Amino acid sequence: MGIPLVPKLLRAHLAELAENDSRHDGRGRFEGRDLELEIDCLVRAEGSARVRMGDTIVYAGVKFQIMTPYPDRPNEGGLMCSAEIRPVAGRGWEPGPPSPESIELGRVVDRGIRESGCINVEELCLIPGEKAWQVILDLFAISDDGNLFDAFALAGIAALKSAVLPAERYEIGEDRPLGVAKTPVMCSYHKVGGRFVYDADKREELGGDERIHITLGDDDHVHSLQKGLKGIFTAAEFDEIMVEARSKCAELRSLLDQKLAGE
Amino acid sequence: MGGYGDVRCIDENGIRLDGRTVGEIRPISIEVGVVPVADGSARMRWGLNDVIAAVYGPMEAHPRKIQRQDRAVLDVRYNMAPFSTTDRIRPGFNRRSREISKVTAEALESVVLTELYPRSKIRVEIEIICAEAGTRCAGITAASVALAHAGIPMSDMVVSVASGKVHDIVVCDLNKEEDNYGEADLPMGILPNSGELVFLQMDGDLSPEQFQEAWDYNMGAVSVIHEHMVAALKGGEA
Amino acid sequence: MKGRQVARPDNMSGDDTAGGPRDSQQAPLLVAPGEDLGDSGEYSAGHGVVAMNGRLRAVKQGRKNTQDGTVSVEPRRTAYVPRPSDLVIGYIEGCTSNIWFIDIGAPFNAILPMSLGPSKAEFGGIRKVLDIGDAILCRVQEVEENHSSVVTMKGMGLRAIRSGTVEEIDPHLLGRLIGRGGNNLRQLKEETECRLIAGDNGRVWIDGEVTGMVEARAKLNDLLMEAKVAEYGGVA
Repeated sequence: MGIPLVPKLLRAHLAELAENDSRHDGRGRFEGRDLELEIDCLVRAEGSARVRMGDTIVYAGVKFQIMTPYPDRPNEGGLMCSAEIRPVAGRGWEPGPPSPESIELGRVVDRGIRESGCINVEELCLIPGEKAWQVILDLFAISDDGNLFDAFALAGIAALKSAVLPAERYEIGEDRPLGVAKTPVMCSYHKVGGRFVYDADKREELGGDERIHITLGDDDHVHSLQKGLKGIFTAAEFDEIMVEARSKCAELRSLLDQKLAGE
Repeated sequence: MGGYGDVRCIDENGIRLDGRTVGEIRPISIEVGVVPVADGSARMRWGLNDVIAAVYGPMEAHPRKIQRQDRAVLDVRYNMAPFSTTDRIRPGFNRRSREISKVTAEALESVVLTELYPRSKIRVEIEIICAEAGTRCAGITAASVALAHAGIPMSDMVVSVASGKVHDIVVCDLNKEEDNYGEADLPMGILPNSGELVFLQMDGDLSPEQFQEAWDYNMGAVSVIHEHMVAALKGGEA
Repeated sequence: MKGRQVARPDNMSGDDTAGGPRDSQQAPLLVAPGEDLGDSGEYSAGHGVVAMNGRLRAVKQGRKNTQDGTVSVEPRRTAYVPRPSDLVIGYIEGCTSNIWFIDIGAPFNAILPMSLGPSKAEFGGIRKVLDIGDAILCRVQEVEENHSSVVTMKGMGLRAIRSGTVEEIDPHLLGRLIGRGGNNLRQLKEETECRLIAGDNGRVWIDGEVTGMVEARAKLNDLLMEAKVAEYGGVA
């Protein structure tokens, strides 16, 4: 990604908005943008979801392959997460090998999902030492207006939870759901104008400072954390957003459950 | 007759696997504005194809070596998403995609008024979200709509469609099985106002008569597809 | 695939685009690139239109306007192309020891030589006068063939912008923002008690109390929404 110019005016304006408890698009400090969540939208994928947060739009697709288990884990299948932000997603995204930003995105989302244990890799084993399912989650951004982290994380878990193992195509038996019992959810907070806000858009990201990503499980257990970009924050600031994250993650979790139940 | 195994693409009544007759094109729908952050964008659903095209520009042409003193260059990227096909596609460099990007750029450069923006470039990003034969045609067509949506001046839009042959019968707008098991594929890019061509490829085996038939199918499909493109731009349902 | 809904022209007179919401009463005549617009003998080609083989053809998508013997197309979006004497808001992207490079929202950056800057700097001190990331109000002095331009800050009211916020709108909507005789802009300034300067490159400077700026931005967005509805019946 090319390094964008940060106008000084933007930073100053975001600071005065923050002092006034305002955001440039009129949202509340911990208010998210309009959210759309669609499941099963890609017919060639075994699990899929599309998430729109404001003008940020991403797809997640689950594909299955047969793998040979690793020698030191003969009874386990695998999970691989790959994130791509192609140039389609914005003026600033350039073609070429994955940028550090997109690599970080993929890995942070991966950790949140993996560490929750929501995928039981032993259940993916078909023949110990010989054959196992590999779950591949591809995260694909098509419009970047900020907060790709949360959009990817939500689309990712939604796609996994609605995925179906294509046993018939591989002639191994009947198709069955992948069976993801847990729902890790990520919430990201960006320091804008001196205070953390939820669901920063591109402009806030451009004029803001550090960001913190929190993935929580069903029982508020913490599954991953990441602080990104330059900046300093206090324990009190962190506590404040952790409280917010608990309620926001619960809200998103229940929205996802509704969608999966067909509402 | 033709193809692998027992896949029969056309039955004894001339009906294809997806219910079409030999001269029909698949259902199409086009909408614009699907990539809100882009200067222009379009989404085209064509059969099971789901294609997104986004345009950025004109902007300064970087790197320097691609710059032309007298006109803008089109920087086109055609790419298939990993989950767009039954077998996952590994992300990364792909020769087929690179070739399609090139012929797409050449088709579009034939209509974009590039002399108005010397030394600059116009980015065209084509992403195949879901694939079902004819993705390069859908890509070129969606890209035309996206360029128009972005306000890039063009002398005409490009309508692209592919016809071919399966079981020795010439058919219009190949679907997936026909593309896999058929004997010929003729994609074309046509300017609706003049019937002139800006894109042409062919592979397979067609007799002179069959070639003419396939050519005529493509030409005949132009006005229907063009109507969808214009309707999408004008804001009607498409 | 039948029964496509396409905008029907109610009348072909088309009028000046600098009106406000009142224009939305007529169904706009929308054209797409490649569309035939008549005989090139009768009318001349304006913006978004070229003459080809004796006919006029739309090369952009948008609303057709016929005025003073010229047919033009008002497009949904225009890339900003600088013209001499344009008033523009720019950002300093870089500099050498005596030139600043300015992003003015055009395909090429503009150049601001120190001699046309706000004040002279000591050698090596150019960034003390205007630093990377600063915003300025300047005027386009000259434009080369390839659209790269030279801007100047010598002139009335031209200065560095040190407070407020800059919003971006599509340049072709400036007419709507400003209104006939500047009415819309004046009204907006009064209602929000903000300073408002609209640059020809579609950048609008808003400055005032925070609440006023927030209100001005909201009204700006409303105006843009209205414009979209008027032009296309509600589709962006």
